[in-house]
Amino acid sequence: MNTRKLSRITAVALGLALATTMASAQALNSGAQTIALNATLAESLTLSLSANAVNFTLAAGAAANPGSTTITATTTWVLKPGRTAVGVYAYFANAAAALTDGAGDNIPSSAFFIADNAGASTPLTNTVAFGAASGGWQMANVAITGANKSATRTDQMAFNINLTGVQIPAANYTGTLNIQAQATP
Amino acid sequence: MSLRLQIGRVGAVLVLAFAALASRSEAQVLNSGASTITLQAVLNDSLTVSLSSSAVNFTLTPSSATNPGSLGITATTSWALKPSVGSVKVYAFFASSTAALTDGAGDNIPSANFEISNNAGPFTALTTTVPFGGANAGLLLSTTRILGNNRSGSHTDLMNFNINLTTIPSLPAATYTGTLTIQAQAL
Repeated sequence: MNTRKLSRITAVALGLALATTMASAQALNSGAQTIALNATLAESLTLSLSANAVNFTLAAGAAANPGSTTITATTTWVLKPGRTAVGVYAYFANAAAALTDGAGDNIPSSAFFIADNAGASTPLTNTVAFGAASGGWQMANVAITGANKSATRTDQMAFNINLTGVQIPAANYTGTLNIQAQATP
Repeated sequence: MSLRLQIGRVGAVLVLAFAALASRSEAQVLNSGASTITLQAVLNDSLTVSLSSSAVNFTLTPSSATNPGSLGITATTSWALKPSVGSVKVYAFFASSTAALTDGAGDNIPSANFEISNNAGPFTALTTTVPFGGANAGLLLSTTRILGNNRSGSHTDLMNFNINLTTIPSLPAATYTGTLTIQAQAL
């Protein structure tokens, strides 16, 4: 009997101790205060070149008249969802007179070749998003997926003027090659 | 002295004595029973947080570790607590660790890329599971021990914000919005 009583008293005491502990451990929470966050990542598309000038020493009628240096175009973009491609283009403003001596003698864009990233040397004879009709070439087309909406691409360009079939007098020929990128749509 | 005179004197003394006793009997106070009024004054425990501002803007640069918020915000926590309370903790948290900020088109900035510097301390990402918000989406800003002399008190947390984009370089251009919540708990 005494043992039962003692057990009951112990159980009651334990219960009270537990209840007290629970009561003292109850958390008091403040109200939740909110801060509205607004972060803007602007869309951008930039292209930079490792150099801005190339010289050629021409040999009349020669197929190989390489440029003095290669140039790397670095295209960097941060695009909005919905863009599907980034194209990189090289072009002239005038297909018939990519380079000219200013006296009516011209080197057409079809005689100007670019090898992109050690690929095949290709003349600028296409109509592209920029420049003159039949005066350009799309060097690269990057498909945009979820993984590369913000990314960079490099195009190392090696240049050549092919004078096969091009009759031009001795002169100093100058011209401007443009490199430009476009994100679509 | 004649017997009559003596009797007269004794009688006079007795009359005076009775008169004095009667007079004393009339001056004795009469008290009622005591009625009690129970007094109870309740100081409710309370815990509140207020913010100096409720909006922060960020201009993001791709892949940059440093994209600071447009302003700092001070959280002022005030309390009146029961003696059993041991501490007051202030938390910052998001509802989701994977999408702390979102453009609503499936592109998100996780809470791991959102950092708070509290009271000029180091910038720390919200990657801890705290009593509120999403798992791995919170940060304990401060802990104040409650002692005998500060059961009623206040604490300020000056928060500066940063979004670190180094681990999410392919984040697309967009406007990302989110809600950071500040809440305190006394325990």
